[in-house]
Amino acid sequence: MTSSISKISDRTEQPPVIISHPGDVAGSQLRLTRDLKQILHLTIDSDRTWSRVKVVRAAPLTHPDRYISFLDEKGVEICMIDDPGSFNEETLNIINEELDRRYLTSTILSVRSIRNEFGTSYWDVETDRGEREFVVQNAEEHVRRLGSHRLLILDVDGNRFEIPRLEKLDRKSLGMIERTL
Amino acid sequence: MSQFNESKSHFIEQLPETVLDKVGKAIGPFEEVTIQVTTDMVDTHRYGSRWLVVTNHRLLVLAPDDSTPEDMQISMQSLKTVHMEPMVGGGRLMLVPYDGESVCLFYSNSLSLKFAEVAEGIKRLIDGDEPNLPLEMDQTRCHKCNRLLPEKGGICPACIKKTDTLFRLLGFIMPYKTQALLLVILTLFTAMLQLAPPYIIKFIIDDVLTTGQSADQLYFYVGLLFGLSVILWVSEIVRRWLNTWVGFRAIEDLRTGLFGALQLLPLRFYDKRKIGSLISRMNNDSELVEDYMIFDAPFILSNAVLVIGIIILLFTMNWELALFVLLPVPPIIIVASLVWDYLEDYWRRWSIQWSRLTTHISESINGIRVIKAFSQEAYEGERFEEHNQSLRKASVSSERSWLVFFLMTNFFMSFGAFFVWYFGGLQILDNKLQLGELMAFIAYIWMLYTPLQWFSDYYSFIVRAFAGAERIFEVIDANSEPFDQTDAVPMPLIKGHVNFRKAAFAYDPGKNVLRDIDLEVRPNEMIGLVGESGVGKSTLINLITRFYDASRGSIEIDGVDIRDIRLADLRSQIGLVAQQSFLFNGTIAENIAYSKQDASFEEILRASYAANAHEFIIKKPDGYDMLVGEQGRRLAGGEKQRIAIARAILHDPKILILDEATSSLDTATEKKIQEAIARLVAGRTTFAIAHRLSTLRAANRLVVLDAGRIAETGSHTELMARKGIFYRLVKTQQESSAIMAVKG
Repeated sequence: MTSSISKISDRTEQPPVIISHPGDVAGSQLRLTRDLKQILHLTIDSDRTWSRVKVVRAAPLTHPDRYISFLDEKGVEICMIDDPGSFNEETLNIINEELDRRYLTSTILSVRSIRNEFGTSYWDVETDRGEREFVVQNAEEHVRRLGSHRLLILDVDGNRFEIPRLEKLDRKSLGMIERTL
Repeated sequence: MSQFNESKSHFIEQLPETVLDKVGKAIGPFEEVTIQVTTDMVDTHRYGSRWLVVTNHRLLVLAPDDSTPEDMQISMQSLKTVHMEPMVGGGRLMLVPYDGESVCLFYSNSLSLKFAEVAEGIKRLIDGDEPNLPLEMDQTRCHKCNRLLPEKGGICPACIKKTDTLFRLLGFIMPYKTQALLLVILTLFTAMLQLAPPYIIKFIIDDVLTTGQSADQLYFYVGLLFGLSVILWVSEIVRRWLNTWVGFRAIEDLRTGLFGALQLLPLRFYDKRKIGSLISRMNNDSELVEDYMIFDAPFILSNAVLVIGIIILLFTMNWELALFVLLPVPPIIIVASLVWDYLEDYWRRWSIQWSRLTTHISESINGIRVIKAFSQEAYEGERFEEHNQSLRKASVSSERSWLVFFLMTNFFMSFGAFFVWYFGGLQILDNKLQLGELMAFIAYIWMLYTPLQWFSDYYSFIVRAFAGAERIFEVIDANSEPFDQTDAVPMPLIKGHVNFRKAAFAYDPGKNVLRDIDLEVRPNEMIGLVGESGVGKSTLINLITRFYDASRGSIEIDGVDIRDIRLADLRSQIGLVAQQSFLFNGTIAENIAYSKQDASFEEILRASYAANAHEFIIKKPDGYDMLVGEQGRRLAGGEKQRIAIARAILHDPKILILDEATSSLDTATEKKIQEAIARLVAGRTTFAIAHRLSTLRAANRLVVLDAGRIAETGSHTELMARKGIFYRLVKTQQESSAIMAVKG
């Protein structure tokens, strides 16, 4: 496997073909591989190849499962796939792993405490990644309401926390959040 | 083993026992640990920690326990490079060996700055250099209480030394200490005077009304009451007058100090902070301190005196009854402090809703053309109704909680009155107490309870004001530019010989914007700086003006290191004309004379002729006396530019800097400005940055920068012949201007 990959990375100098309209390329035409160095390689129709590819979501908040974009080394879009259903299984797995790795947004499962002091709130929460404490300033700007029941919170360092469904939280957590916002 | 645990830098963190053991087993006896840091994520799915320990021989990635991914070891020789890959909400550090798998360390955004430094340090270690990590990193947690700080490297609102801040604030009152002392005495005096009327009423009831004696005594007591109110009234007027006199003067001094400090701060300080947050220090924080000095502090002082006075008085009058009076005090304080948190929450929510509503109003008025053009009036109306509804809800709940607060505290307070009426009444029936005393008691308990209601409020007043004061002091205490450096070399007459010697610069440690700049510029030479945006042209200029100091290497002017030249001498002989020429709110003449405040009108005229500015100024109704408006808003771009050039000509600098001085202008205006600049450049060492390469034809030499290094130097023709970066830049520009010409 390693040998075939080293061949691919030798060919990175070829001019990139930019196809940026969703639908122009079907997911089935793409093959994504990852080498031992954790570098991604994208092949379209088994003849054009890009190395150091990045997989990103066009609208990570509103359409997390669709509109997957592939960027080259310099951040220029190679192509966009609107329906990930057409990917082959191996590619889809890598895409999911990459997206999962790229978007480090923790989901808040319950709130242990929120302290409000001096216009700053200090949160102590349980997330899907474990316990976490963080500080939010200027809640008007850094707490985004996405629809009526979904919240995205940005802390002072730019870490992201999400509450996908407010009404699913326990009453105590919900009460503390409502008092803060 | 203590060598691993000594915290000599921010990049040698305290290891837990388990990791310490692993490190001890893995490294040799004389290996030196250079980096020892922890992540805050085990992998992308779990918070936790993995340790990265770097020595001159190897890199260890260690887990604090066995449940986490297995430990890794890479020798320094086998490491090819390190990558830092930013992700959304965090990032990863990839250790890439020549053979085999890369090792990844994951961290959240809270640690991304640290790992950026670590990556740079490891790269230098791979090259065989010292890691050279920065000595200072902004702290994210308070070093005392370990709570997360609201601003990186800022102050911890919970840990400010309140006594220190108080003494510093008192320091601002010291120049007016006589008045301040008088103020304190008056405050105590009026507070004590307020205690007297109920006591006099006691005498009226007990000695006059119930004994049925003559009215003489009644005149006396009522006269006394009247006299007291007059004194109280007069002393209150004097007190308030003095209060504002002292308070506003102290605030004036504080504000002047803050503004003075802001002027002298180096640009680096401004880079790190948002302009908005600095303006808010100037406005909001000084207002907080002002409110405290003018209203809160005297209010707190007089209420404290009142409360203590009443308690003493009650106990001397009748200690049994006084105990009953004090009974509801603990519940009042407890309820008040409990409910207070909720009240603040409701207020905050109310103010958030209010600001949302106002933002929406101003947005829709500013954007009224767009709303109408797309006929979205109904949509905007709906959105407004939503905000309006939220505001109503917030207002209702905040008012409701106020009501609850008042009713509850009043409820407990009335208990005090019940107790006094009942037990005092019993004592009267037993002839142990007189009616007047009872009445005085009743009056005093209301005077006692009311200030107690605000008990928890006082604390938040003080904390808020002190946090504001602390933020102000932080600015005042920050290191200012070395204007008063005593051993600096005076250089009143610079010739203009500029020499860069291996100069390097980084805004953020580790990320070099300029490296290995070697450039010698002769007096009166004009240098054109060329390169794509972001290659370091403006940074190079910032080093000449000494807005920043080179992080490595040096810059010499006439053979003297720029850091040794007296800053005032250096700056007074450097002129700057930038693309965004900043004009101050004042007249045209004032703006031209900004660089030389004592310039005569003839001098201003000569400068503006030379700058081709006179021709448009003379057409203005007010000529040189025209007000330019805020940031010169009433003038066109080319007009502002020419005023800036006139300003530079009047300044008569030896070293001139033109930063995109001719861009974004129409051809006719540009020609005028080119002429003016040609006059300005003569006889000065000039550094010019221009986006349009054709404007740099006048330059003696062109210096092409690429990724922070000098890539090419030479005249226009030399560089074109070389067919390098400059050639490509010129070609692309010609092509795009041809396209523009066709389209236009």
